[in-house]
Amino acid sequence: MSEMKPSDVAAAEDSSEEQDWNAAKTFFDSLKSNKPRPPKPRFAVSIAVSSRTLFNMVAERKIYEEEGVEKYVAFQVEHENEPLKPGPAFPFVKVGLRTSLFTHFQLAFNLSDLTIERFCMTGGKSPIGYLEAYMTNLYLSKDSDKVTEAIEAGIAAATVFMPEKESELSDTQLRVAFDGDAVLFSDESEIIVKQHGLDTFFEHEKHFENQPLAQGPLKCFLEALGKLQRKFYSKNERLNCPIRTFLVTARSAASSGARVLKTLRSWGLEIDEALFLAGAPKGPLLQKIQPHIFFDDQMFHIEGAKDLGTIAAHVPYGIGQKYHKGKLIEQPAKKE
Amino acid sequence: MVSTVQNTDVKQKDSDHAVVVAVASRAVFEPGAGGGDGVYAEGVAFPLLQALQKVNERLLEENSAESLLFDIVLITTDSQQQQQSSQLISSTKHYGLEVSRFCFSTEEDFSESLLKNNVQLFLSTDRNEVSQTSQKGVLSALLDEYTASCPSEQLRVLLCGDAVIRPDTNPTPASRQAAQSFSARLGKMRQRFGMSDSPLSITLMTSCGGRDSCGGALQTLRSLGISADEAYCLAGAPQGPILSVLRPHFLLSDGFSGLED
Repeated sequence: MSEMKPSDVAAAEDSSEEQDWNAAKTFFDSLKSNKPRPPKPRFAVSIAVSSRTLFNMVAERKIYEEEGVEKYVAFQVEHENEPLKPGPAFPFVKVGLRTSLFTHFQLAFNLSDLTIERFCMTGGKSPIGYLEAYMTNLYLSKDSDKVTEAIEAGIAAATVFMPEKESELSDTQLRVAFDGDAVLFSDESEIIVKQHGLDTFFEHEKHFENQPLAQGPLKCFLEALGKLQRKFYSKNERLNCPIRTFLVTARSAASSGARVLKTLRSWGLEIDEALFLAGAPKGPLLQKIQPHIFFDDQMFHIEGAKDLGTIAAHVPYGIGQKYHKGKLIEQPAKKE
Repeated sequence: MVSTVQNTDVKQKDSDHAVVVAVASRAVFEPGAGGGDGVYAEGVAFPLLQALQKVNERLLEENSAESLLFDIVLITTDSQQQQQSSQLISSTKHYGLEVSRFCFSTEEDFSESLLKNNVQLFLSTDRNEVSQTSQKGVLSALLDEYTASCPSEQLRVLLCGDAVIRPDTNPTPASRQAAQSFSARLGKMRQRFGMSDSPLSITLMTSCGGRDSCGGALQTLRSLGISADEAYCLAGAPQGPILSVLRPHFLLSDGFSGLED
């Protein structure tokens, strides 16, 4: 492996980002490898995944919870040469990398064939500081507390769930599905439904059709994906674009759909397919779409998606957290 | 000319087993600033000293007969500060700093006095000083203004897995050896504590290499008996953001690369 020359080293010491990236490129160029070269980070989307979402670590987690951290570490060391099985975020990451879309900040160690080169092992500390420092576009974890913390810090984040069955997912096109209210958009309209009922909701949405909704926690991630998509469009590759986005909303096209589309337009964002279910269950439709990941704020929809084989990620945001299947949940006393 | 004064307020450490850390007095106390009553004001290395002391305290809690402790020496070359040696000593006692002895040396004899005192790590805010002592084979690390904002409750050491962090300290085999043996002792200290609530935290960072480089560095550490608390493989990402989150008291490079030539 070639050593860094003094001039490269001097450049690397400069604190400007440009110098560091150039040094990295020099380094990567000097590697003799057949693996696809990681994309230059500034033009890629930065995703952070926790090790438990990238890999299946159910057995290990059990040890951690039942026998404590020392036993957990001992177990890991004992098995460190055995590759881990894929977890729920694996297909999303794999296809994202394969289509050279993502760079990764990845919180895991035992890696398989993925070209993930960057990782943080924070020794149990909260990763939020690091996510902010590296301008992460999306954070995926199994830990809903960390995910909530990230959302409160303004980082798009979701808790990923493993589906009950496996499904055939595309290897060449990354397909990402989003719920609308309280995911891409704020929960302002959902509050109306929960507190005043559907009829009031329809009237309200029609009345305010031309007023854009406020943004939700995953809007900036959609935006980041959109930037990548536009690069393909500019090369006349719209038909072969390796990213496809979907909106899967319980809203109905006739009564409350227009506001959603107009909001997206006002943000300058495109979504490839918008599917208005008018309250029908999302599971079957998602089964047809086969996204690598589906974001929703309501556990009810997450469960429906999971049951039919869709990898679903819960966004713990907004009024939906206080309800289950339309009924108000009794909130336990908040943990200190 | 070197003169050494023992701090009678502090119990002297077992020189065979202690880890001698020398800190430039200029880093511990604000030069020239009078804190009133002839006591110096706190310098950037103050939290660092408190953190070193915290480790000693906790080590003794675990085992009151512990001999693997930090032995802290304040070293002064600044002739101005030497003239005010009594003020230096009284300031140290005033703050209750666990400094075992004070070393007053000329610039010429400086590295010599470090070696003679069996110093395993030298810390200073002066880049030239650090460069010189490093070249003479004394493991040295540079402190800067960020050190002042580091925690005083936990000593945080950053080991750099690829030797690009400090380009002006050319890694000689001797300094590599010094880095490894110091870190090995740090690793031993770390073992005295459990996974959480440790007063000492060791972090590995590789800046340029990919995961193999970091993985190799972790293996090297393990072979030295060091279990890293945290590990960061930056693969070219800028270091600034992560350093501001990690807030290490000092960085050590050389000797941890997994892919050694």
